[in-house]
Amino acid sequence: MGKTRLKKMVFVAAAIFGLMQFFQPARNESAQALDTDISKTVPVPAGVQSILSKSCYDCHSNSTRYPWYAYIQPGGWLMAYHVRNGKGKLNFSDFGSYTKRRQESKLKSIAEQIEANEMPISSYLLMHGSAVLSLKEQDLLINWANSTRDSLLQ
Amino acid sequence: MKNSIIVFCAIFLSFAACKNSQAQSDHKAPASEQLPVVYACPMHPEITGKKGDTCSKCGMALTERVEVAVTTTAAAQSTASIKEIVSGYLLVKNALTADKTVDAAAAGKALEVILKGFDKTALTVEQKKAYEEIAEDAAEHAEHIGANSGKIEHQREHFALLSKDIYDMVKTVGEAGQALYQDFCPMYDKGKGAIWLSETKEIVNPYYGKKMSTCGKVKEEIK
Repeated sequence: MGKTRLKKMVFVAAAIFGLMQFFQPARNESAQALDTDISKTVPVPAGVQSILSKSCYDCHSNSTRYPWYAYIQPGGWLMAYHVRNGKGKLNFSDFGSYTKRRQESKLKSIAEQIEANEMPISSYLLMHGSAVLSLKEQDLLINWANSTRDSLLQ
Repeated sequence: MKNSIIVFCAIFLSFAACKNSQAQSDHKAPASEQLPVVYACPMHPEITGKKGDTCSKCGMALTERVEVAVTTTAAAQSTASIKEIVSGYLLVKNALTADKTVDAAAAGKALEVILKGFDKTALTVEQKKAYEEIAEDAAEHAEHIGANSGKIEHQREHFALLSKDIYDMVKTVGEAGQALYQDFCPMYDKGKGAIWLSETKEIVNPYYGKKMSTCGKVKEEIK
């Protein structure tokens, strides 16, 4: 491979990378808490709320905290994809708009996903070490989800 | 240039799409929990007692009383039918009873399509409302069963919730098109129990598969 060819390839790669920066995905940041927020629908103790904010809300609410690499593409795209996916499955900011049946289902799935160590997903934890749930935090969330569900069932 | 951007995106998206599949958690059998059982005389049902007791009237040994309510669906008079939905559900159920996770996933995907494409024109306003509320939840469970081939325990978790949805649907929306049995597995979900619907009177448990195939009992016969 000639030296000029290599130079050309590096240039093209850099140009692509530069161009990618022009395509910034829309931010998932909502200033005000909605009436449909989970905290306004069912009791959420402070301890549970802080774990939800720390480990769940980036993908499952309308307020994502964006790290620096979200401002560099394709980091931002990847993140937008994860957030869209996560909110589609469960959005804590929208929880109050779900039917009672769906709220019960979601609470059950929350407990089961945490218990099976499926949530938060490992690809997210790779970049967000602080979101890892300790065993104690897992228990707290599972118990809260189960008891909230039981109260809805009554 | 345009192509390389597309390729670049595709690589990243595919990376994002691959989830780490967790090793399947071992099935945890909870301590044997049974519902309170009533023993009654087979000839004189009003005589009840403990296991081993005999009837004060005729001296026969008391046996476990099986109470099966026979009900008809509330919607039995209407012309609405949810036959395809029930058949779709039973395919998922039968795959799980046979421990066939791949078949369960295929049946789950098919059921999701049936639920979303269901023709609601024959439903009354009330039935339509009930249908939409239930189907939204049920379709989500069907989707998860479809997306989790290889994770049969996870499929079963969603199946428990799906079963409740389909049961409510049979009760409030339309005719099932066939006789159904509401069965109950007292052990599932750490002893909380779970129901399922079956086309046969004979118990074939979908929650534990072949391991505990005959575990459970008929709670209700729906005609």
